[in-house]
This record gives sequence, structure tokens and C-alpha cells, in this order.
Amino acid sequence: MQVGDYEVIEGLYYTKEHEWIKLEGDRCRIGVTDYAQKSLHEIVFVDLPESGGTVAKSQSMGSVESVKAVEDVFAPISGEIVEVNTKLADSPELVNQQPYGNGWIAVVKPSNIDADLKGLLDAKGYAGFLKTQIK
Amino acid sequence: MVDFSGFELPIWYKGIVPECKAVRNSVGIFDVSHMGRNLISGKDAAPFLDYVTTNDVSVLEVGRGHYSVMCNEKGGIVDDIIICRLTEKQYLMVFNAGNREKDLAWLNAKAERFRVEIQHVSDAVSMFAVQGPNAEKILQEMCDEDLSQISRFGGKYVRVDGNKGAVTRTGYTGEDGFEVFTWDAPIEQPAKAVAVWNAILDHGKAYDIQACGLGARDVLRLEAGMCLYGNDIDESTTPLQARVSFVVKLTKQDFIGRDVLAKEKAEGAKRVRVGLKVLEAGIPRAGCDILKESQVVGRVTSGTFSPTINQGIAVGYVPKEYAKTGESLAIRVRNKDLRATVAGFPFYDSSKYGWQRTKA
Repeated sequence: MQVGDYEVIEGLYYTKEHEWIKLEGDRCRIGVTDYAQKSLHEIVFVDLPESGGTVAKSQSMGSVESVKAVEDVFAPISGEIVEVNTKLADSPELVNQQPYGNGWIAVVKPSNIDADLKGLLDAKGYAGFLKTQIK
Repeated sequence: MVDFSGFELPIWYKGIVPECKAVRNSVGIFDVSHMGRNLISGKDAAPFLDYVTTNDVSVLEVGRGHYSVMCNEKGGIVDDIIICRLTEKQYLMVFNAGNREKDLAWLNAKAERFRVEIQHVSDAVSMFAVQGPNAEKILQEMCDEDLSQISRFGGKYVRVDGNKGAVTRTGYTGEDGFEVFTWDAPIEQPAKAVAVWNAILDHGKAYDIQACGLGARDVLRLEAGMCLYGNDIDESTTPLQARVSFVVKLTKQDFIGRDVLAKEKAEGAKRVRVGLKVLEAGIPRAGCDILKESQVVGRVTSGTFSPTINQGIAVGYVPKEYAKTGESLAIRVRNKDLRATVAGFPFYDSSKYGWQRTKA
């Protein structure tokens, strides 16, 4: 669905800090939303988390950076990082081009998924939240 | 749009990266009407300016200008400025937007014993910067004077697209270029200023001129190693610490801050401004710690990703023993210590970019 200039994908979960997560079996893929990438504009660097490390919900797990701005990527859920998108090291612009696709940031094996999901928004909830942000 | 010293200014038009590339490779235009502008005239204009600024105004011939600073009695920088002698008895002073009121109060307080008139024209005269290797070609089509005769930092009264104005060969990008002043273009009646802006864009079409925002302006000045007042310099830093000692002319008899600066020059500044190139992925930002062998030795005052050299760059202050070009330091960015090396200014290869470039 479309909210203003921004795309919101059905079936994903979202945070108010503009991360998305996609459930893939017992794993979760994490990225930043179309709104996040458009707000930053030209992304020139992604500070990726380390594969094998653990993250706690709401803690910074990396950053997405434009020339002049830095946005933290906050972990939407707790768990172990099992994969990171190493393509972003050479092609950070993938986050601009395909925020919900090839611009994903990391895959996490969640440790407390049921509780963590309760705090997240579904597509409809995020779309409603976005409307309040962009007016 | 962001608020910048009370002015609403765009961060970018097309994007910071393409705007920076346009300026380095061809030409860009910036609305810098927020900058402070004074016309200083009167019998004592030169002696007055020589008293309140550190560079030598007495040597400026008509049509010449220079970069300078105003210091307080402790040698701290009140503001960094450009002075250009437009006529026999009139000097244009360009200063920082955020310091408008402070500078005017400072100048007026110091002017008492001089026969001098300080005319504040910031809101009556528009100001655009046209920057890049093709800037002169575009403006020459619009001006009634031979711009090639204007030296770096020099300037003169010209008609710009038929309007009374002046140009100076100055800028904040490291590139060749001009700052274009249009008289009788008050900020509350912008029609004339907008017409000049649009005329420059029209003439620039053949060179793919790009309108540039504050983001590109900050990146370009940082790539060139130029100071941003409030970040890299302020009243707690001296021009010697900021490594703009070329603007401090101790040959002058008397100017504000002279005693402190003379002493510091004799002893050597203990901490100095350096450029740092990051040797791995990551972007340093203002406030990051600078480290030598895991010990914090300084702090970044400006940092960015440089689209021109495609790596992270920073400016900060470190003790002088770590200030030599090639010194290995680190910058702590988001809890990671990134390897960095002390680099000279500008950060880019000045044979390829900047006003001194030798390769077309």
C-alpha cells in the first residue's frame, strides 16, 4: 500500500523507528522502510552488525548513513544475528533502490519472538503511524 | 528545509552527491543571502579594519580582497570574514549569518575612535555563490566587466544581468567561482533577486548548472579544508590553532589580540586543527573522539563522507605532536576505532580539483 510517497508492504511487521521485519520460518529478516531511506536520501554507508553477535530489542544494531545524516538501525527483536547483507558494504545504495528487497540489513534468529512481536506494528498500523508523521 | 541562523534553507535540491560533483566538475549555484554583509567606508576605513582584523588591510589595492579573522583581546576568533576593497574608500565585509548581531555590536563598539561608517546591508543586497570551473564563463555572459581581471578574493562593482551589483572571486568550496551581490534586492521583496538567480540558471544550462543546498556547501568546504564558524573555530580557538596563521600579520603595529597571538606564535600553538582521512569504511562526525594508541587526544569538529575522494574525512584538534601529515591516528565512530591518517588541506588532489587545478 502507498502512504503519500512511501510504500508500505503488507505482511511485514514494523517499528516506529522505521525498521521492518519479515518472518521467514524461525528467522527474521530486518531492514529499513521506504520512508527511512527516502528521508535519508542518498545512502553512502551502512554500518552492519557482526554476524554471530546478539542483539537486544530496541538497541542499536548498526546505522544507515547519508553524506550528512546518520540513522540508527534499532533491533526490532532480540536474538542472534545469523546473516548480514555484506553487499551493502560496496553498494549501500541498494537500501535506496530496494529497501524491502536487496537492501535488507540482517537476518536474526529470534530469542523471544512472541513477546517481541507484540510491540510491533502490522502494515496497517505502520501506515496509520506514517500518516501522523508526514501529515 | 532546515532552520539556519533564522533562515529557511534547503539541505539539498537534487542530492548532496550530484550537487558536489556539479561544483567540482562544472558549476553550481548557492543562495547565500543569509550571510552577513557590511559596507565599511570613511576616511579611517582601512585603519579601522586593520585594528579589528588580523590580516593586513593596508596592502589591499582597489579590487583586491582577502580572507581574515576578527579576534578578541585573548586572540579568540570572533568571526572569520572576507574583506574586499570595492572602491578607494569602501570595503565589503562578508561574515557569518549566525554572527550577524554579535559582529555588528563588536564592530560598532570598536569603531568609536575611527572616522568610519558601517553600513549593514545583509537584508538589502542579495548574495549568490556561483562555484566551479565553469562559473566565470556563465557570469561573463551576464556581466559588463572583464571577470578574468578579478584576482582570487578580489572583486568589483559590475552590472549583473543589467542590475547594479558586485562580484567577488570568492567562495566556500575550494573551486574557482564568484559571489554575486545584487543591490536594491531586499529580502522582503525578492523579485529582483529571484530574477538574477533564474538568469544565472538560464545561462548555466549549457553547463548543467546545479542548484546546491546547505549539505553540499558543508561537504565542499570541508573537502577544501575550510573552517565552519561554531564548529571548527570559535572564541575559544585562535587563528594559529586553527592553522589559518596566514591571516595573522604580526608586522602590523596594533590590532585586537595581537599580544596573545604574537606570544602564541613564538611559543607554537599547543593544539592545532588537522585534517583526517579515514582509511576504512565509516563516516566520522562532529563530536567523535580522536585517538592515538587508544588514548583520546582530541575531538572531531566536522566530519563527513567525501563524494570527491569517496572516503570519510574529518577535521579536529589534536596536540601539535600528532599533527604532522601522515601521522596515524584513529577516530572512534559508533564504538569502533577507525584508522585515520593526518592529511593536508585540501583533502582532494589539487591538480585535479579546486581553483588551482592544472588539469582541465
